[in-house]
Amino acid sequence: MSSQNDSDLVPYKVEPREDTGLYNAKFGIWLFLASEIMLFGSLFSAYILLRVGSFSWPVQSEYLNVPIGALNSVILLSSSIFFIIAWAALKENNVAKYKKFMWLVISFAILFLCFKGVEYYQHFTHHEYPKTSVFLALYFLLTGLHALHIIGGIAVNIYYAGPGMYLRRENKQWFINRVEVAGLYWHFVDVVWIFLFSTLYLL
Amino acid sequence: MDKNLNQSEFKRVKQIYFSIIALTVLILGIHHLRLGTLGIALIVMVAISEATILVYFFMHLMTKKKTVHLVLLLTVIVFLTLLFWPAWDIAYSPRTPSEFTHY
Repeated sequence: MSSQNDSDLVPYKVEPREDTGLYNAKFGIWLFLASEIMLFGSLFSAYILLRVGSFSWPVQSEYLNVPIGALNSVILLSSSIFFIIAWAALKENNVAKYKKFMWLVISFAILFLCFKGVEYYQHFTHHEYPKTSVFLALYFLLTGLHALHIIGGIAVNIYYAGPGMYLRRENKQWFINRVEVAGLYWHFVDVVWIFLFSTLYLL
Repeated sequence: MDKNLNQSEFKRVKQIYFSIIALTVLILGIHHLRLGTLGIALIVMVAISEATILVYFFMHLMTKKKTVHLVLLLTVIVFLTLLFWPAWDIAYSPRTPSEFTHY
């Protein structure tokens, strides 16, 4: 079935709806991000309530590797700006530049996971597990869930940098919109890390 | 991400990127000063500023339609309600017999 027929069956894949002013995927991703805010928000709530409700709380920065956390912040922020450059290149029909920066995004995301892995390894070698304390349980839960989101983002980005490029041949604007939506998700993951770094490493 | 990224816009994106990096360094500085409760308040404020800048400029929230603002506003209201409801309960509920006397 051709893309033209698909557009007839499912409207507003490229052009915005009259009522929302957004095309389907963008409206969908904002609804999804709203649910993600609730997911991470509930876990942050658990952290705050457990912390204010406890009689003693460890000095978090003594447990965690602040320099690695700070470095990971810079890595994720850099990957965000690379994503914007990649998307802009795609809009300018510069596919080579788009691919180059998408692979940079993916590389930085993998680098982030490597540093996270180093941190986890340091904890495990010091016999610090989720069962050790409430703080460590929250730390592993929040950062682990965030890492899963990074892995999901990497999978999507690999798809759009590689095999998913066939969509561009079918419908250029549709593909640009899909990459934009993936970018919104990627920036959101970055926002979550900003709060995780501040809350878990520095407070 | 609604417009083509021309030179001036790319310059602006770079400025935003370095401003967020600067705020990250500022957070680390505040952390090393060990300001206690004031430090916690400052770190939270700077983190919120960082996230706001990222959402407004990188996610182009400032140019988004009302629908997106409405979705996010509803989410924030529900989230804050769920956050402060149990917080209020913890604050005004006795946990131990010795604390009970204070209420």
